[in-house]
Amino acid sequence: MTDQRKGSDAEPTTHFGFKNVPQSQKAEKVAEVFHSVAAKYDLMNDVLSGGMHRLWKRFTIELSGVRTGNRVLDIAGGTGDLAAKFSRLVGPTGQVVLADINGSMLKVGRDRLLDKGVADNIEFVQADAEKLPFPDNHFDCVTIAFGLRNVTRKEDAIRSMLRVLKPGGRLLVLEFSKPTNALMSKVYDTYSFAFMPLMGKLITNDAESYRYLAESIRMHPDQETLKSMMVEAGFDRVTYHNMTSGIVALHRGIKP
Amino acid sequence: MLLAGLLAGVERGLNRVLRLDSTALARLGHLNGKVIAVDCTRPALQLFILPSDEGLLLATQWAAEADCTLRAPASSLLNLALSRNKTAILHSPQVHLEGESAVLMDLAAVLQDLELDWEYELSRWLGPVATPLISGHLRSRAQWYQQGFASLNQNLAEYLSEEARTLVGEREAQARFRELDKAKIDLERLEARFERLSRSLDPSDNA
Repeated sequence: MTDQRKGSDAEPTTHFGFKNVPQSQKAEKVAEVFHSVAAKYDLMNDVLSGGMHRLWKRFTIELSGVRTGNRVLDIAGGTGDLAAKFSRLVGPTGQVVLADINGSMLKVGRDRLLDKGVADNIEFVQADAEKLPFPDNHFDCVTIAFGLRNVTRKEDAIRSMLRVLKPGGRLLVLEFSKPTNALMSKVYDTYSFAFMPLMGKLITNDAESYRYLAESIRMHPDQETLKSMMVEAGFDRVTYHNMTSGIVALHRGIKP
Repeated sequence: MLLAGLLAGVERGLNRVLRLDSTALARLGHLNGKVIAVDCTRPALQLFILPSDEGLLLATQWAAEADCTLRAPASSLLNLALSRNKTAILHSPQVHLEGESAVLMDLAAVLQDLELDWEYELSRWLGPVATPLISGHLRSRAQWYQQGFASLNQNLAEYLSEEARTLVGEREAQARFRELDKAKIDLERLEARFERLSRSLDPSDNA
């Protein structure tokens, strides 16, 4: 969902939260946000979602259908929640690649997984989701959890994920979405714009990053739009599952 | 989501218990990569179990095909979980098993052979001095209660059969059952004789 409006310097712009910024600056600005929150990312996830993010990720694992010997790519893998589970599922004959564009997040994830003893079958790669540095038809499963909304050119990223997947491979996109219930939507808006920045201020002393989080969620394509983006990119049998009244949706597509 | 949350809690607790046994996780490691589907027919509920050397992963759905599917009503599943003779239950008509049954049997054997080291877990919380004191006290209490219960059971049985004569004693009952068995066999013999006699007196037979 790249915004094609032109800025004063004629460079295409895209949204960064509710602001419009030149496309070349978004990645840098997102990186600043994640450098700032990396150290307390897990704690904040637990506080802000009330632990629900664990169940959303659990459901993602269930739908992944990952088996022993599979090769899995976890993009925007951050602190390695999904990668740790995948590492256990693929076993010693499989491989998990935890990729993140942000060095700080990747470092936190790598240290955390090494501390847990997850090391044999996992690799850490600093990579841009739009230009994945992997061969074609390489992975059995690609996941991106709470990362796609931070990508500047989402269509390019989805196409890149399609390229690295083997035919029959699965892409799973776990992302905040649009609540399906009007009342829930109102409660969620109040929660996002009042409570989240406040908690960000109290725990990480950074309200701005959590304001960006709330804004970026609103700017992210809704369930049907993301589904059509995946279909346009070339995915087959694209379905989505709403969780917690649509606050989060899990999209799944198969590479034909 | 509610069920998934519940399963996550059960899984966490179960894996904590499995870690108390020194061999369970190593044995579960041999089942790494296997998927067991438990399909409860009444009430309708499906559960997937994925064993690994880190414990069990429980899921409400699994996109990949299961290696072994067990389909049965809740009562049979409960029986299967508690019974020592699992083969007999697996052969009952309500229970259907598809795929590699060895996977299920291996998992059941690991769970059945659990020998949990509660003292170790307790010592992590209370330290090496308090733990033997508490566990020793608990063990002697348990033994005392066990003996007390056995003794109460025996005394009550003796009182009811010997003193109050409310119940028949075991030996007395066995003697009476033997007499009844003998009478039943005698009756059957008598009946057979009558039948033979009546057949021999029947004129149509003689003709």
